[in-house]
Amino acid sequence: MGTVSLESFRADVESLRAEAVAAFGAAADDAGLEQARIEFAGAKSGRLKVIQKLLGGLDGADRPEGGRLFNEAKGAITAALDAAQVRLAGAAAEAAAIDVTLPGLPFRLGHLHPITQTIRRVQEIMARLGFESVDGPEVEDQWHNFEALAIGAEHPARDPLDNFYLAVAQGADPLLLRSQTSTVQIRVMEQRKPPLRIVSLGRVYRPDTADATHYPMFHQVEGLLVEPGATMADLKGVLRFLASSFLGGDVHVRFRPSFFPFTEPSVEFDMEWGGRWVEMGGAGMVDPAVLAAVGYDPAEVSGFAFGLGVERIAARRYGVADIRDFYRNDVRFLEQF
Amino acid sequence: MIISTTWLAEYVRWDAPVEELVRRLLMSGLNHEATWQVGADTAIDIEVTSNRPDCLGHVGVAREVAVLFDRPLHIPAPRPLEANLPAAAAIAVEIVDSDVCPHYTARVIRGVRVRQSPAWLAERLRTIGIEPVNNVVDVTNYVMMECGQPLHAFDLAKVRGGRIVVRRARDGETFRAINHKDFSLSSGMAVIADAEGPVALAGVMGGAESEIAADTVDVLLESAQFAPLVVRAAARGLVLMSASSYRFERGPDPAAVEWASRRAAALIQELAGGEVLAGAVEAGALAGGRATIDLRAARVEEVLGVPVSAGRQAEILTGLGFVKEAACSERCRWQAPSWRRDVTREIDLVEEIARIEGYEKVPEDRPIHAKPVELSARERTIRVAGEVLVAAGMCEAMTRSVVSEAFEATQSPWTALPPRRVSPALVRGADRLRRSLLPSLLEACGHNRAVGAPHGDLFEVARAYLDRGRNAAGASPLEEPLLVSLVVGGPYAKAKGLAEGVIRRLGGVVEFRRGAFDLFTPGRAAEIVLERAGAEPVRVGVVGEVSDGVLSRFGLEGPVSAAELRLDLLEISGSQPRKLVPPSEFPAVQRDLNLVVDQGLAWAEVERAIRGAPGADTTLEGITLEQVWEDAQRLGAGKKSLVVGLRFRSLAGTISSDESKRLIEAIVASCGRSCGAVLRGG
Repeated sequence: MGTVSLESFRADVESLRAEAVAAFGAAADDAGLEQARIEFAGAKSGRLKVIQKLLGGLDGADRPEGGRLFNEAKGAITAALDAAQVRLAGAAAEAAAIDVTLPGLPFRLGHLHPITQTIRRVQEIMARLGFESVDGPEVEDQWHNFEALAIGAEHPARDPLDNFYLAVAQGADPLLLRSQTSTVQIRVMEQRKPPLRIVSLGRVYRPDTADATHYPMFHQVEGLLVEPGATMADLKGVLRFLASSFLGGDVHVRFRPSFFPFTEPSVEFDMEWGGRWVEMGGAGMVDPAVLAAVGYDPAEVSGFAFGLGVERIAARRYGVADIRDFYRNDVRFLEQF
Repeated sequence: MIISTTWLAEYVRWDAPVEELVRRLLMSGLNHEATWQVGADTAIDIEVTSNRPDCLGHVGVAREVAVLFDRPLHIPAPRPLEANLPAAAAIAVEIVDSDVCPHYTARVIRGVRVRQSPAWLAERLRTIGIEPVNNVVDVTNYVMMECGQPLHAFDLAKVRGGRIVVRRARDGETFRAINHKDFSLSSGMAVIADAEGPVALAGVMGGAESEIAADTVDVLLESAQFAPLVVRAAARGLVLMSASSYRFERGPDPAAVEWASRRAAALIQELAGGEVLAGAVEAGALAGGRATIDLRAARVEEVLGVPVSAGRQAEILTGLGFVKEAACSERCRWQAPSWRRDVTREIDLVEEIARIEGYEKVPEDRPIHAKPVELSARERTIRVAGEVLVAAGMCEAMTRSVVSEAFEATQSPWTALPPRRVSPALVRGADRLRRSLLPSLLEACGHNRAVGAPHGDLFEVARAYLDRGRNAAGASPLEEPLLVSLVVGGPYAKAKGLAEGVIRRLGGVVEFRRGAFDLFTPGRAAEIVLERAGAEPVRVGVVGEVSDGVLSRFGLEGPVSAAELRLDLLEISGSQPRKLVPPSEFPAVQRDLNLVVDQGLAWAEVERAIRGAPGADTTLEGITLEQVWEDAQRLGAGKKSLVVGLRFRSLAGTISSDESKRLIEAIVASCGRSCGAVLRGG
């Protein structure tokens, strides 16, 4: 015979369970809950531990049932303790909560000029095809700005009113602010032998009255390739690659005949942009006279060149209606790019 | 060039809507500007490039249309009914300066009746924007717009002495033009004179005295060739551009001189009556031979990348008026027509074939092989400087390279020579090549303040233009150093910190020395000097606090600081990326020192003494200046206290407290020796 009856054990377990669940539920803070936990579920002398010891006093045949009763109560008490812990943690979190919609700490981001960004983009695209970026002087001589480019002394492009000439001593070869970056191509060709793939870029100057679409100072990007056997089909392929990479998608390129002294044949090239043809720039096969002027043999190599006005494509790309905005340097403008 | 389609249809039929006509012209080299209706006629405005004066008349455009649509071209063959009396009986012509006029012809029509032109003529002129005047003047305009050769009709009775003399104008000679304005001429221009003086400004405009009037009876008809530069000098110099000067500047067909004269005489006779005296009085001769050009049939594909058959090549060239000299196959010799003096070489023929055949036949999917390429050191330098400043919250500006006298009145950090000037001015008042970017940036900064922008902290990467003066031997007379400049709200230390950031990132080792520059407050500016292995140190920058005077000039409020650096001298060397210095795995030791030094002692001296202490080179990781204070009572007069934070760390192992004590002692001793520093409370 056991010393404890199953009935009285059952009653004790039930009442312990009810008291514990009530105490955990009533705990108002972490300290109160801890006190209750020690009382009921303390590892050494908690009341659950005490009642567990009574199991040994049950009659052998009652022990399985007693064990089941005890485990069930223990599970319920543990669950109540967990629930109370979650409840109190939630309250603490609520007390420490912040308004997550408050603004983040601002920091100031700098911006590259949209003209710089446009030039870099063209440079990067052309670099994929092996075109190296080059630069040269902005104050040029007659040879590089005109003569080597087959612009003869009688050409209207040399008129004093169409260029920014520097005041020089009488009789000296007048210098001028370059009117195109082709000057750099001449300088590179004078110093290197083909094959050659370069993009020249930078400021150029032409006396236009400033208005929404003109500015007397602007930027050009010009590409030049000189290799044996280069053709207009290669030129078109390169421009299509540029157009597709710059505008995204599969963009077509169109050539229209035009005239430039330093290319023959000469074309203007259009790209399909927003469902219509948009003028992008001038291009053509390098005139044999230009190749000869820099000491290349036109029978051995041929080449093509193309030029883009950076302000024009940047204005279109960014929806800038007045290109003078590029030079006002208003931070509210610059910060948008 | 405005085209009347009714008029054009007189020479060629194209059997297609106007839109298609315009498209084909556009794709073969005549850009379309606009199309509009004028009564029953349609006007088309096309842009003619400067190499194609043949298309500055309806016949030239008709020739293009005929080739593009493969239709026959009809050009009239005018034959005025001539009297027996030769024109030479009525007029004599002399060319004094043949360089201004290689060929001059004069015809005489006697007994005309000047009145209104018939409707067909008046309407065609109106379509192309020319207001009819009278039948004689209208005919000269009509024939010009037909073949591109400008003509002029004089009232023969007003040509004094029965002589025409073509010569350079005399400096200061005066002339009253048809527009009844007086002009003072110069020897760069040419005139048509009679026995007494100028009656026309050659190639530009006729004179008021000899113009065709209602009472004109006898007409002298001029058809001539004038040198482009002389006509341009007059038209530009007097700001007197005309349809005539426009054409002469581009060089009309020399052979058209004779045709146009006959055509106009016949039309005047038809519309105004009168008798045409026999022949024309000529001086000089038809100038400009025809080019003979060899074309290899295979060359076309070599240039275009797409084949065009030899038969098609011949068809195109023949249609454009080129004449094949003999039967040929692989290599043909062609003679260019007189109106295509722009075509002189094989490549020019290739272009003619290409533009008529159509560039849409050139494929756009020819593969291009890639090639490795590297950014130049200069380009990488520009990018690094930009990255640093953008990371610091600055916006990149772009300002004009050419500035006003006021901007250039301030001293440049880079040269003592004055700025070079350009003509014309870039914008009003701006005619000096700048020698520093700072005034432009300060102006932009002021603009931002004026419009209430969130800030005006700007930088720019651009060039200055420096006169090399007498040292120009062999080199370009101007040096164009690449600069980065910055303007930022805040004291000296703000701009200095940014300048240091750029320089450090570029790998430069520099020293800041007290300097003085116009833009900066005296005593609050420095020059930045770069130490160079095996060369003299060189100034690579200036930095300072912008002076009150300058601030108020640009509408700014202080403190504002600014710096300008020579990127060309700070350029990254070599293309190898930086190599890693592995961070130490051992803990750092932090110590503060309170040093008392003379008030005037520069921080750089203290820092040098600290770094120069024995053992510091391998253990001193960082120095910070925590605090500077002065207190005559506690420190003594003329003294200041520097609180210096020192962080030690070794790659070899943990720094023990004994070791750190020895290091501190060594540093204090070094500072004492070099700077007379005393440890406060030490």
